[in-house]
Amino acid sequence: MNLSTPETILSIQDLHASVEDQQILYGVNLLIKEGEIHAIMGRNGSGKSTLSKVIAGHPAYKVLSGSINFKGTNILELAPEERARVGIFLGFQYPVEIPGVSNLEFLRVATNSRRKELLKNELDTFEFEDLVKERLKIVEMDPAFLERSVNEGFSGGEKKRNEILQMALLEPVISILDETDSGLDIDALRIVASGINKLSHPNSATILITHYQRLLNEITPDFVHIMADGKIIKTGNKELAIDLEKSGYDFIDKNTKDKELAK
Amino acid sequence: MNQTNTVEEIVSQPYKYGFITDIETEKIPKGLNEDVIKLISKKKKEPEFLLKFRLRAYEQWLRMKEPDWSGLNYSKVDYQNLVYYAAPKQDIKKKSLDEVDPKLLETFDKLGIPLSEQKRLSNVAVDAVFDSVSIATTYKEKLAEHGVIFCSISEAINEYPDLIEKYMGTVVPINDNFFAALNSAVFSDGSFVFIPKGIECPMELSSYFRINSGDTGQFERTLIIAEESSSVSYLEGCTAPMFDTNTLHAAVVELVALDNASIKYSTVQNWYAGNEKGIGGIYNFVTKRGECRGKKSKISWSQVETGSAITWKYPSCILQGDNSIGEFYSIALTNNFQKADTGTKMIHIGKNTKSKIVSKGISAGKSKNSYRGLVSISPSAEGSRNYSQCDSMLIGDNASANTYPYIQSKQPQSNIEHEASTCRISEDQLFYLQSRGIDFEESVSMLISGFCSDVFNELPMEFASEADKLLALKLEGSVG
Amino acid sequence: MKSSAICREWLNSLPPTQGYLKEEQSIGRKLLSTKGMPSNKDEAWRLCNFNRLNSFLSLPIIINKKDFTSKLKYILPEKEKDRERIIINLTENPSKNINLPNGVEKLNDIEIKQNLGKIVKLMNIKNDISVGLNQASSSELLALKVKRNMIESLEIVIPSIEKKSISTRIFLLIEEGAKLDLLQVFLGNKNSAQNHLMEIKVESNVEMTHGLISMGEEKESSSICTLAVEQSKNSKYSLHSIHHGWNYARFEPRIIQNEGEASTIVKGLQVTKSKEQIATHSLIRFEGPNGKLDQLQKAVASEYSHCIFNGSIEVPKKAQKTEAAQLSRNLLLSKRARIDTKPELEIVADDVRCTHGATVSQLQDEELFYLLSRGIDNEHANSLLLKGYYDEILSHFPKSAGKWNVIEKLIKDIIK
Repeated sequence: MNLSTPETILSIQDLHASVEDQQILYGVNLLIKEGEIHAIMGRNGSGKSTLSKVIAGHPAYKVLSGSINFKGTNILELAPEERARVGIFLGFQYPVEIPGVSNLEFLRVATNSRRKELLKNELDTFEFEDLVKERLKIVEMDPAFLERSVNEGFSGGEKKRNEILQMALLEPVISILDETDSGLDIDALRIVASGINKLSHPNSATILITHYQRLLNEITPDFVHIMADGKIIKTGNKELAIDLEKSGYDFIDKNTKDKELAK
Repeated sequence: MNQTNTVEEIVSQPYKYGFITDIETEKIPKGLNEDVIKLISKKKKEPEFLLKFRLRAYEQWLRMKEPDWSGLNYSKVDYQNLVYYAAPKQDIKKKSLDEVDPKLLETFDKLGIPLSEQKRLSNVAVDAVFDSVSIATTYKEKLAEHGVIFCSISEAINEYPDLIEKYMGTVVPINDNFFAALNSAVFSDGSFVFIPKGIECPMELSSYFRINSGDTGQFERTLIIAEESSSVSYLEGCTAPMFDTNTLHAAVVELVALDNASIKYSTVQNWYAGNEKGIGGIYNFVTKRGECRGKKSKISWSQVETGSAITWKYPSCILQGDNSIGEFYSIALTNNFQKADTGTKMIHIGKNTKSKIVSKGISAGKSKNSYRGLVSISPSAEGSRNYSQCDSMLIGDNASANTYPYIQSKQPQSNIEHEASTCRISEDQLFYLQSRGIDFEESVSMLISGFCSDVFNELPMEFASEADKLLALKLEGSVG
Repeated sequence: MKSSAICREWLNSLPPTQGYLKEEQSIGRKLLSTKGMPSNKDEAWRLCNFNRLNSFLSLPIIINKKDFTSKLKYILPEKEKDRERIIINLTENPSKNINLPNGVEKLNDIEIKQNLGKIVKLMNIKNDISVGLNQASSSELLALKVKRNMIESLEIVIPSIEKKSISTRIFLLIEEGAKLDLLQVFLGNKNSAQNHLMEIKVESNVEMTHGLISMGEEKESSSICTLAVEQSKNSKYSLHSIHHGWNYARFEPRIIQNEGEASTIVKGLQVTKSKEQIATHSLIRFEGPNGKLDQLQKAVASEYSHCIFNGSIEVPKKAQKTEAAQLSRNLLLSKRARIDTKPELEIVADDVRCTHGATVSQLQDEELFYLLSRGIDNEHANSLLLKGYYDEILSHFPKSAGKWNVIEKLIKDIIK
């Protein structure tokens, strides 16, 4: 057994970022270690999705100051595909439809580019089909989806399952799942959540970005962070999420106000 | 935006077929007059009717004016400064491939079209045309077993004059347009295909055109006849060396489909497009037309157009037979100063005729990419339907994409639907692919392929990969 | 007679250039005498019925008041209380003796000089025959402005005169922040011709709704109308037009967003019967970024008639982020009728969203069957469907348009 202290995967320090000349993040700090599950909660517009896009390197988002280190290396200069290859995975809130591009082909190219990074052999069409069929079971997805264009005409739930399938294939070190639970019915939520649970791993970590507590009934986070106005304003354990569910976001506002008053 | 710049770099890449084969050619002197036409006809040992055909066309051509309607400005061709016949010095077609000049075989090898028995493609019969002359046709004997005739048009003129006389010029009349008239007067070679009644052609047929001389006009002529209940899939590819002058290519293609026959005609056109300053390149002024003469016949055009300085081409279908079907699938990729004005004409005459048009234009650099098409429903074409879809993708803000669909209906019991859109590579789609570890260049390439997928799906198997490779090649380059 | 000879004769029939449109008259006459009439080789006139165009030119043009003898025999619907009506009858300077609402003023000579002809020139159309015809023959001008931030409604009625041809010229300046609701009505007459040139300058933050009802008279009436609109930033211009009943009509709306950032709506309906030919040639150009266009052109062709639509949209490089949608929908109701439609998109800017579509069909059998199966008789069912088809255009007209009984006529004329 490995008893040494768990390694830091992601370290974000005093991150300020903007999109379309509007600043959204005002000093985010976050430390994520191996084996941990973090949940980030907050109202719409609090900066949760922006944070995920910045970590993944979306070109429309500009980092104004601060740093993001992945396993001790600064990743801010890396292109999005390079971040993906080292093992950063973003599960999109709204996965984009790409008509004409075969889902199977897309998954294979993506998987091979990650495998190349891991110095594993690249898979040919047949080998890949075997792999993908096995991984499909994790998300209980119909193989027919492989024959279609990327996300094209998929329902909300099917798109999210396709995201988790990609996660299963890319075997990321850190998965940032942006509102993966939104728009899912109970069954789909259960499938997606069990997929995430099956894929979690002592050497990897997960960030769940969510608006509601219900996903957290299925996946137990080690830490819960609350974001407001582009900052993490409170960190706690699962209880915090439950409090939040009970009393709503107003209770945070009140808390922070009290704090400010106390100062 | 620097993203746009890099996408632009990706679509620019050097032309890989620009080499010249050093071979002794026999050329007749430059210029065009009756004597030159008589000389061409004599060199090809043509029967009297064909000489008359040529001279009639020449007479018409003299009376016609070079068109200038499509807003394409180009330096006009000096027709007296062209060579109208050039052939590699060897006797008229050799009986066996072994006798063909090895330099020619090597040329086609280099182009990825091996002709020699050991290396040739297993399920494709190839007619290789070098400058004005067909130098070899593979699998002729095997095809003959099925009654399929596949040979150069010169050979057909001598061996099957009845078929030629019966069909040539019936789909594209000699006075159809300026370039068709010129072609009818001086055409040098090309391919001839005849599929007899009830025969499904056992393999893909393919012609490969290579321009080698800089001052030679290329005027090939293709005639395909599919008799009742027969079918054939035909492919055509073309390349040329890099010259800094413009070379004229004015081909005529005629297709005839009788009752229940089906012809699928695919083109990958990669003539030299000129350099990044717009100097040189081929003028590709081609008349392609198919006639669905018979009931329930079908003609399907698919094309991937990536080359030529200027392309003017509208592969068309005359839907004469009741219940006949016309299709047109096109990808046109232009870059630098290329101009492509392409599309189709679907002329509905018979009852319950159907046509489908799918056109994808991609323009980069300072190029101009236009879709121009006509859908015409005659009063007799009761129950006819057309569906057209024209999508354009723009890369960079100096390229232009135009759509000019002409729609004309005189039959109330018919339906026409046309849709068109213009877009650029979506940032979100690009980011999605990149965020899965796929690099920028490959992501762009995937998105462009995806944009074109409706058309790729229509290409014959052997060809789809070639076309995809061609696009990928066009897209190859360094990411800045 | 050849059309060039007819054109020459027509030019000769015009009085000498005179009045304050003298300069314009010489420009138009010079163009026509050098270029002559168009032919089917000209892309913009390819489908024109040239016999009709020739008969258009064979009617004597009214220039002098004394030519005007016949009285107006139209019975016009009562005018609305808060919508001033201007009738252009060419017996006098159209801007004399009219009651203008508070917010509307006549332009003074300096303003006219500054503006007249500028918008047409801006369009930069080679051999602009329609405009030339008007310039050559117009002798009076109605030039008005809606003052800053005012909200006004106007009605302009232009009747035709039997056996005569009239040419009208209008210039409207809609000043910053103003709102104008304009209803314009063209009325045909037996054996008559109309020729209009209208320029509208829409300044920034203006909202203008422009309803145009153009109803001919079956027997040999014709109309050629060029409408040139220049829109500044943040303006909104909506054009809603109906053309019907002209033996020959040609409508050329041209709209230019000179700085982009504006919104344009164009909804047109043309309905033809007997041997009519009605053509719409629209041109919308974006000269700056972020412009929007929503265009819908509907046509119904019955009997032996011919409907033509040619819709050009130009998006040059400077017009990034333009969003333009054009749809041409056509109903072909008879075997002898004909529809030609040609959307034209010319795009250089890469970050744009432009779509266009066209359909040609008959009234939907299933829809018809559905109504019939509910016991509605054929005629009624057809008129219901037609009404539905028209509604997309008509519903955008100002309410007062209802008085002109357009919809009734459009249905009655088509279902016989």
